[in-house]
Amino acid sequence: MSVFQAILCGLIYYTGNGNILGGYGYYTAYRPLVAGFLTGCILGDPVTGTVIGGTINLMYIGAISAGGALASDMCLAGIVGTAVGITSGLAPEAAMAVAVPIGLLGTLLWFGRLTVDTIFVRGAEKMVAKGQTDKIWIMDFLLPQLMLLVVTVVPCALACYFGAQYIEGFLNMLGSTVLSALITIGGMMPALGVAITLKFIFKGDARVFFLLGFLMTAYLSLGMTAVGFFSVCIVLIYMQVTKNKEVGVNG
Amino acid sequence: MAKLTKKDAIRTWFTWFMCAQAAYNYERMQGLGFLHAMCPSLAKLYKENEEGRKAAMERHLDFFNTEPFTGASIVGLSLAMEEEISEGKDIDPDAIRSLKTGMMGPLAGIGDSVVQGVVIPLLLIFAINFAMQGVVAAPVIYMLVTLVMTVGYSYSMFMLGYKKGHDAILNMLESGVIDKVINGASMLGCMVLGALVCNYVSLNCGIVIEQANGVYFNLQESLFDAILPGMLPLLLTMGCLWLLKKGKSTVWVLVFIIVLGAAGSALGIFA
Repeated sequence: MSVFQAILCGLIYYTGNGNILGGYGYYTAYRPLVAGFLTGCILGDPVTGTVIGGTINLMYIGAISAGGALASDMCLAGIVGTAVGITSGLAPEAAMAVAVPIGLLGTLLWFGRLTVDTIFVRGAEKMVAKGQTDKIWIMDFLLPQLMLLVVTVVPCALACYFGAQYIEGFLNMLGSTVLSALITIGGMMPALGVAITLKFIFKGDARVFFLLGFLMTAYLSLGMTAVGFFSVCIVLIYMQVTKNKEVGVNG
Repeated sequence: MAKLTKKDAIRTWFTWFMCAQAAYNYERMQGLGFLHAMCPSLAKLYKENEEGRKAAMERHLDFFNTEPFTGASIVGLSLAMEEEISEGKDIDPDAIRSLKTGMMGPLAGIGDSVVQGVVIPLLLIFAINFAMQGVVAAPVIYMLVTLVMTVGYSYSMFMLGYKKGHDAILNMLESGVIDKVINGASMLGCMVLGALVCNYVSLNCGIVIEQANGVYFNLQESLFDAILPGMLPLLLTMGCLWLLKKGKSTVWVLVFIIVLGAAGSALGIFA
């Protein structure tokens, strides 16, 4: 990986974090699915990037950031995981097992940023006292985004650059036992991703639908798209049947 | 007296959409973004009235935190109220403050359940399913769909607050439609997640028992797969859910999986 490519990877990380695209960046570039695809484009292998990004994203399907709290930095996990996966030729599951702990480190940046951004409130207060409506954008946009550009691009670019150089050698040194353990762990991780989502919706009447979806795949070997269309019909029928009764997921 | 044009309203919405969290911070959260969005319109409304402008700026730098798309309605509502105040209507400026504070919580609750809890996960599941098969179009289509949906939803919520006001937002919240959508989507989500577990969580038992000379009993193939394919992934998912519901943190469960996977793999229990 060249330095230039590493910096471009850092820019994806900035786009995901920066909110320059409003909430939109948070729902796109911040997701490993998109971040992995973009990283793949930068490294000249969009297909592998999409596969690895999608795999890593399994862990973060239902990640909810409410009230400024963030459980894991899926964007950093997606970019570094994909970059390392492509350059070292790792299996997607192994890339995932490497990426998820990196995502935990990334949350430090989030908390640091929300703390440091407080200084721009002080600057804005001075402008408010003078009634300068035309200058607020400097405190809300220009300065915090410049700061963010530096603190996101630098660590992400470094992690991609050195990760790509050293992780392959490091894993080879540890041998095939470690690699197969990583693949096992990476295969297990989506269970947690699903469980995090289920924590909010696995309630009352919805529970049996989970089992139904599972059994349709396990015994009938239906694909995800087929299950999706069947689900829409089954849920609609269920809602029509129970229309006049007091039924809800909170029951 | 300056009147706001539609262009001014759209500019306020767009600034909010772009910059709501551009300077996200622990002290005021999206407060600075809120002020930023209001500023161009405030400049116009209070062009001659410097004191009024300062007071208006001050009240929009208050602590503010909500789900940005749904919460666009509060920005729209505040803009409409500022317009009325500057026209000299008898509105207590503090009413804007209490409305903002009063509405941000409920709207965040609903917005987060709908956007982060339902819509985005469902879109992601289908996009990921194709992405893992190497379909490069999947992330691109996901980006386009998300763009149309976020812009459309945020803009219509803003205009709902700006044109129809406080009652319209409350009516929408209390009509029960949102509850129905969340209920239905929860069931849909559960079902699709069930399929996801079977397809994409992988955990196989590696234990093989030698019964007699050359006759092997493969626990995975002869037992688990025979009863229910994907049984171990299902148990693992339910185990994770149980731990989370017991109050264990995500990181705790993650470490648990890493230790379990490493030990199981080293001992040959998992293959």
